Formats: sequence, C-alpha cells, structure tokens
Amino acid sequence: MGQALNRGAHPLAWLAPVILVLGAIYLWPLLDAIRLAFTDATLLNGVRSYTLSSVTSTLGDPALPQILRATAIFTGASVILLQSLGLAIALLVTRGDRRGLPGMAALRTLVLAAWIVPGVANGLIWQIMFSEAPFGGLNSVIGMIGLGPVAWLSDPQMAMVSAVVANIWQGTAFSMILYYAALRGLDPSLDEAARVDGATSLDRFIFITMPQLKGAMLAGTILVTIQTLNTFDSIIALTGGGPGRATEVLALFTYNTVFRSFDLAGGAVLALLLVAISLALAAVYALLLRQRT
Amino acid sequence: MISRIALVAAVAGATPLLAQDDLITRTRVGPADAPNVMTFRLTAYDLYAQDPDMRATFGELFLKMLERFPDWQIETQLQTDDIGQEQARMLEQARAGRGPDCAMIDSSSLGAYKAADVLSPMNAHWSAEEIDDLFPFVREAVTDADGNLLAWWWFTDLRVLYRDTRVVEDAPATWAQALAAAAKSVEDGYEGLLFSGGRWEGTTLDWLGNFWAAGGRLVDDDGRPVFGEGANRAAFLDALGYYRELVESGASPARVASITNYDDFNAAAAAGTTAMFVGGSWQYGQLEGTLSPEDFTEWEVSELPGPTADQRAAGAGGWTIGAMSDDPDKVALCAAIAKHVYSGAGNAVQGLLPTSAAQYEQYDVFSTPVNLAYSEFLQNGRPRPGVPIYPEISNQIQILIGEVIAGEDPDAALDRAQAAALDAWGRL
Repeated sequence: MGQALNRGAHPLAWLAPVILVLGAIYLWPLLDAIRLAFTDATLLNGVRSYTLSSVTSTLGDPALPQILRATAIFTGASVILLQSLGLAIALLVTRGDRRGLPGMAALRTLVLAAWIVPGVANGLIWQIMFSEAPFGGLNSVIGMIGLGPVAWLSDPQMAMVSAVVANIWQGTAFSMILYYAALRGLDPSLDEAARVDGATSLDRFIFITMPQLKGAMLAGTILVTIQTLNTFDSIIALTGGGPGRATEVLALFTYNTVFRSFDLAGGAVLALLLVAISLALAAVYALLLRQRT
Repeated sequence: MISRIALVAAVAGATPLLAQDDLITRTRVGPADAPNVMTFRLTAYDLYAQDPDMRATFGELFLKMLERFPDWQIETQLQTDDIGQEQARMLEQARAGRGPDCAMIDSSSLGAYKAADVLSPMNAHWSAEEIDDLFPFVREAVTDADGNLLAWWWFTDLRVLYRDTRVVEDAPATWAQALAAAAKSVEDGYEGLLFSGGRWEGTTLDWLGNFWAAGGRLVDDDGRPVFGEGANRAAFLDALGYYRELVESGASPARVASITNYDDFNAAAAAGTTAMFVGGSWQYGQLEGTLSPEDFTEWEVSELPGPTADQRAAGAGGWTIGAMSDDPDKVALCAAIAKHVYSGAGNAVQGLLPTSAAQYEQYDVFSTPVNLAYSEFLQNGRPRPGVPIYPEISNQIQILIGEVIAGEDPDAALDRAQAAALDAWGRL
C-alpha cells in the first residue's frame, strides 16, 4: 500500500514514456508546421529563409474568403444535419430496443455500413448517383415521377448541397452511435416519473432527455465539427472542389496549396488556420453548453 | 514489322511461365537472393494490371530484360491513381534523398523534376539517332539545355474529337463548324458536344489545344505565367469563348461542368446519348470494347477543331521513366526498363502511342488507319510546358473554366487566374 502511494507521488516518471511517444507523434508535426509557416518552404526548394511573408500572403489570398465561406456552409450544414439525424436515428433505435422490435440491430448495422466506406469511395458512389447524364441515377428516379432533372454537380449551389448530402450519408452513423450510447446510459426513472406526472412525449424529450444528453451533445458536436472541417477526400472524389471553387473547402484548399502550388509554407499556414478554427469552435461550444447549465 | 501476337508469343517462349511465380511478387521482380537491389516506382496498368494477360506479358518482358542483369532484383513500389499527389510526394522524397532509384514520372510533372535537379542523365543508353527520332515536343521535354537525356518518354497520347458519323457526317474542322454540328445533334435529340469542364487535369489538357491553336502561350521562356497577358490574353479569351458559347447556346449541356473523367464519354456513347465528345486517343480501343461492332464502325476520330481549319493543336500527355539514383548500374537498369520493357514492346502490348516515328513502322499494331492518323495528328501535338508552375496554372484554368461555364465574367476570371498563377510562381 505504502509502495503504491509512493509510486503515485511521482506521476511524471510514469507518464514520461507516453508523453514522449505522443509528443513525437502529435506535438512534433504541429511544431514543425508552425516552423514551416514562418518560412518560404516549397516542395521544390525546402526552407531558404525565415519570413512572415508566407503568413501574410496566404491569409491575404483573394480566394480565401470564398474558401472560408464554402467551409462555413459545408461545416455548418453538415454538423446541424449530422447531429439532428444522428439523434433522431438513435432515439428511434433506442425506442425500438425498448419495445423489443425486430430489425433494430439490422438498422444500426445499415447506418454503420456507410460509416466504414472510405471517403474517396463515398465521393465516387455519390458521383454516380448525382450524375447528370440522361441515364444518371437520381435524375432517372425523380424523372419517373415527373421531376427534374436537377443539376446536382454542375450548378455551384446544388454542388454544395450534394457535397453536404454525401457527407451526411457517411457521417450520420458516428453521431448516431454517440447518442445511442448516451441514451442507453440514461436513468429511466426520471422519464417514468415525468410520464406519471402527465408530461407529453415532447415535454419529456425536451425537459428530461435533452438536458441529460448535454455531455454527449458537446462531445459529438466538437468531434463532428473537427471531422467535417478536415473532410476533403469525399469532396475531391465527388466534385474536385468545383465547379469553379464552389465546393473547395479549407482542407481541400490546403491540399491544393501543397500539392498543386508546391507551397509548403502556405499549406502550413492554412493547416494552422484549420487548427485555430477547430479550437475556437470547440471553445465556443463548451462555453455555450456551460452557460445553459 | 512485329505483330502484337507474335511479340507476346516470343516473350512467353523465352521465359517459362512456371518461373514467374517465384520471380515476380507484389513487391519484387527477379530472384529474391540477388545481391543488388534497385527500387522502381510504377503505375498499376502493366506489371500489376487487373488483366491477368497484361500482367503476365509484362512479367515476361521484365524477366527477359533482367537476363541482362543477372545479379539484380527490382523492388517495385506501386503508385496510386492520385497522380498529382503521388508525383509531388515522390519529388519531395527524391529531394530528401529518399526517392526511388527509378520511377514513372507523369509527363506533366517532368518539368518539376527537371527543375529540382533530381534526374540522372541516361545519355549512354540511347543512340543519338534514337533520340533524334523522338517527336520534337517529346525530345524537347526529356532533354536539358546541355542535351542530356533526363528521362525516356515511353508513350504519348493526344486529345481528339470523337463523333458518330450517323449524326455528324463530316469532321468539324473549326470551332464554328463544331458548334453548328453540336447544335444540330441537339435538335436530333442528342446531348451535343461533351467535354471535360470539372476540377481535374483533363479539363485543362483537353482545352489547351484550343488555346494553343489560337496562338496562346502559357509561360514565357523563363517559365513565368503569361497566359493572361498581351496577345496570349486574346487567345485565351477566344478559346474560352468557344467553350462558353457551346454551353450558353445549348450545343453542349451544362453538365460538362461536372465531368471529371473520360469514362463519362464512353458511357454516353454506349447509351447513344451523345454524338460528339472531346476525348483521349486511347479511348478508341475502349469504345471498340464497349460498343457493338455495328455501332463502333460508325464512330470516327478527327483532330480537334481550331479557330480556323489551318490553326490546329492538341494536348499530348503520357508517361516518362527517369532515374533518380547516382549509381551508374542502377541508371543502366532503369534505362533498360524504359528501353526493353516499356518503349516499343510495352507500347505494342498496351496499344499506347509510341513517341518516335520509327516505332510506328516497327509494330504493325500502330499501322492501323486510326493509329497512322494519330501519328499525323501528333504533328500538331503539344505537351504541357515542362515548368514547375504548370500544376498551379492547370488548377487555375480548371477553376476559371468552371466559373465561366457557370456564367461568370471571363475577363474577371482570367484576371484572377493570372494573378494567382503569378503569385504562386513568385513563391517557387
């Protein structure tokens, strides 16, 4: 016992290997990105000098406002819909579980199946679905009921809608699992008490269930936001960022900056901008949910 | 004259098939205990092709070539289809001294490799006559100012106009004729002229023929982007206006802004929804395999239309093989891969257009009417400029074409593209 306490008094020694490994894996690349952001590094020339010009020119890029606007629309719409749909499906599955309905496991598996599809494959699948050719998937279907055709990918506004749809299709499972786990962990006695007091289903959901889901909601929103901000593989396969720059989000712009312009320093600046936005949004979510406690 | 069947039979006879199992794996060609190892990064269309016959034929070509290098094994590294990223990453590795000894380099990226000075000359392995026989645009791209041969461009391709002669009888020679023919096909119930207009390299390369035919230049002699300046600007706006008019008039569907692969054209031809499209020379063989024999005989290829019938150009692509090792033995093996596996024999097996005139006569597969026509079209073939800024210029052109098709002002879009390309060039 005494020995155990003695060990607990010196956590740093025990934590050091983990700190070293995590530092090497996560912290070192971050520090290197910070270093690169203040250089003139390119893929062709490496670092020639240290300068602020990469930061100023990248943040002053006339294309950046359009990129940030596309990123905000893509991320905002995706997060709201992913969280809403994830919660709705989790509620459905939980209720089905409680009532012993058959097929709930199959429903969970079905939703999860989309989640394990790689981003590039997801983009390709939806590219086939959204094809605007006379024989295109979705247009053929809606054409049978006298609608369409819809310019899913060639119209700049619709292309963004299509990118969000593809992202939601793939990402809803993650939100669903988070909410499903949280819902399974709720104490049913509170809900029962409210029911006895005559609360309607909606009342019980808003005043009993939702407050208890706050933790899951915060974690889910932060994770989904960061995940969506970093999404570029499905978009590059679906639209390549086009037409024009209509669906070019910040992560894809960063990729293009490094691999098209060979601008390593500019890519590092954009990567740090992505990190800063993620951290800022996480802080805002935490603050908002704390204020409502 | 060597036929494709004779070539495959000759190669197969030289190497017992049984031996291949041990000598070719997913990461190696040659005996596992060979003392010398050279790394070779390649694409997935030959030695590791999905088609087992193609895989076996290239395996035999490799083993036959390796008979000249008995103490060597080749460690193979596969590239993914994400060409831009693969090529940029490989360049970064080569600069850091961690690149492969030998690699396939996309012709559009060759300029960046030359600029980074990571390629070893391979002059000793080709004669002056062989180098002279390369098409001029190929020779210029693979040699440096001192005449060093820095890579071997083993196959090329070019952009052509495909048409269903039942709908469009005569090949349009000018933009106006193409517009009129496409509009007429729309009246007949077809989609009109299809072309790539989405965010991918195909959009730029397919369109550049129009720009070059109009007399434009992308970069000046120093590699500085000049496509939006002076006379080049006028050529650019002319060629852009052609695409814009196609869509605005309805002669091409608005969906071209979402086309990001050549398979869409094959699908449209197979479905009978289009009568014309701008595609790659290699698609002729794909159409033959896709369409019924009766339908296929109705499809023909012709040169891309120009502003006038006398002003013609077409973007030419393809792949090169370059050595990034300083070891002369590895450079020799790399050159042998280019010379004895891919160039000539590899072209014939895959039906990919050779880069020198003599090879069209050497292999009968290239003496078909369509391949002989391609060799003529190649006289107007133009490669993408071999400069490091090209990928960014291409990126800007893709953005610009998408914006203009969607209705944005071409002048303003061109101003933005030129400014962005210049900024990027300044950083390089």
